[in-house]
Amino acid sequence: MNVDDLVRESLREQATEQPPLGPGFADRVLTVRRRRTRTLASVAAATAAAVAVAVAVPLATGGEEDVRPASQMNKSDIIGHPNQSPPRDLIAAGDTVLSAFWVYKNVKQPNGDTIFTRTYGLLDQKTGKYVKTKKWAFLDIAPGSRTAAVLEGELPARRIGLLDLISGKVERWIPVDRGVGGVAFSPDGEKLVATTYSRNPDRNSADHPQNVDGKEVPGPVQSRTGFAVVDVDSGTSEWHKAPDKPDEFGWFGNPREDFDWSHDGKLVYAHRAMEPYREYYDLNGDEADWPANEKSLGYAEAGLSPDGKLAAGEFAGRGPKEIASAINDAKTGKRVTTVPVQQLLAWADNKRLIAWGCDPEKCSGTGEFRNQLLLVTVGTNKVVPLSDFRKASADYPGRWDPLFSSR
Amino acid sequence: MDAQGQERFREFVENRSSALLKTAVLLSGGDRHAAEDLLQNALIKAAGRWQRIDEPEAYVRRILYRQQVSRWRLKWRRRELTVAEPPEGTGGGDAASAAELRIVMRGALARLTPRQRTVLVLRYFEDLPEADVARILGCSVGTVRSTTHRSLARLRALAPELAALGLADAEQPPSRDYSPVEVRP
Repeated sequence: MNVDDLVRESLREQATEQPPLGPGFADRVLTVRRRRTRTLASVAAATAAAVAVAVAVPLATGGEEDVRPASQMNKSDIIGHPNQSPPRDLIAAGDTVLSAFWVYKNVKQPNGDTIFTRTYGLLDQKTGKYVKTKKWAFLDIAPGSRTAAVLEGELPARRIGLLDLISGKVERWIPVDRGVGGVAFSPDGEKLVATTYSRNPDRNSADHPQNVDGKEVPGPVQSRTGFAVVDVDSGTSEWHKAPDKPDEFGWFGNPREDFDWSHDGKLVYAHRAMEPYREYYDLNGDEADWPANEKSLGYAEAGLSPDGKLAAGEFAGRGPKEIASAINDAKTGKRVTTVPVQQLLAWADNKRLIAWGCDPEKCSGTGEFRNQLLLVTVGTNKVVPLSDFRKASADYPGRWDPLFSSR
Repeated sequence: MDAQGQERFREFVENRSSALLKTAVLLSGGDRHAAEDLLQNALIKAAGRWQRIDEPEAYVRRILYRQQVSRWRLKWRRRELTVAEPPEGTGGGDAASAAELRIVMRGALARLTPRQRTVLVLRYFEDLPEADVARILGCSVGTVRSTTHRSLARLRALAPELAALGLADAEQPPSRDYSPVEVRP
């Protein structure tokens, strides 16, 4: 007997032993589906759904794919490297990990166009180190920091890769009908919103010049066509038309205006060049109202706290010296307090945030751009450095920007 | 889903859920509760698209397989599987009967990674050719081949009692067209 014969026999024997399901399984499925759809409105329920989806399986041991992510293996609450900029080793705080960072370069093309080209420092979950890669034109990290959705080549891309951050290999490619320029995982990691464009949103065209500091340089061309909601497991997607809208003067904002998810994962939104500065859509492609608890959100990337009660606000320093960002009540929009940092990037948990902050003694002039990742706690002035400083210039080769995901 | 759709859905689940559960149990390494969760979740997804699915069983099966493999994306709570038999097996290699070997094999299958187990279930339980497995999992034939090879080798490592068994075709040394692991559509 060969080993495959034995595998075959064992599987068949195990399958035939299974007693049938009890009556009413279909109703159980329909009930759970209804409940899930209803309760996804709250963050707590969204988390529960993710856990429900992630069914328990036996703990496999020793297999080459059975490696836990470095960000989960290292259980320290705060992992900082205040001597590293850009970071080389894993940075994390609370429930959040710096899963990647990127630097960019405007690369000149033979026809005079320029392409905003990213180099990512992507967390290798096997070693806990950031590895530089130019392979991906764009990426986003799934909750749990185990997988990245990647786009390759010149955008828009015709497929989305699911990159395993432990093995470094693309686990699966999801083909898409329309060219994709940006992707974002839903809060439960089950879906992606893929923003579709007819041209590369990172390419500035010599045929559409813009004037920058008195100099004519290639300019942006708006080409957003809409978004597709992709079910990651099945690979199926539904596309909805949603081109960017101009402001009252007919001007567009950025050529790249990607869609992202609302806090509860029920809607998607993109920024706009004029009031109300955000447009929301439901997953059927219909325009939707701003969720009440997101009305106070602006451009601070941190968004709502995990429990949905607090909203990260904008810079709120008074006078030339004060460095402060607002923390607002999500429901009322009223300021609750401030924290002594410049820019709120991600919530580490319900009380702490990761932010850019400058050295209070050297923060004037271009010193404001000399900033480092800090962990701040709401209601205190305590800051914990997580990285070294970026240089005191708004734009220099190698200036890095972080991407965060849940740990 | 309208009332008619719900009726069709109930009918489908009633007729096919036991067969689907068998596959789910094998994918879950014998954990019945995990299998019911897996199947429930696949059916919830199918219910969401019920009016647009032409072949419900094929759709649910594809979700089962892919969900099992891609579940790794998410951070989730693992728990040990309680198995009746110790994974090391039940006795000496020479004396082991066919029934004992199957028990040993079952314990070893439960300890494979979900991806390895899924490929074996598709190849040896569903009896699908490599090309079909690759299509279902959205990976290359080379990946299916190499995963099968590694999974069988892993079974041997987990259960020394299997040492006396002959090599499967998939365990033969790779030929020159052995494909890289990287996935291509």
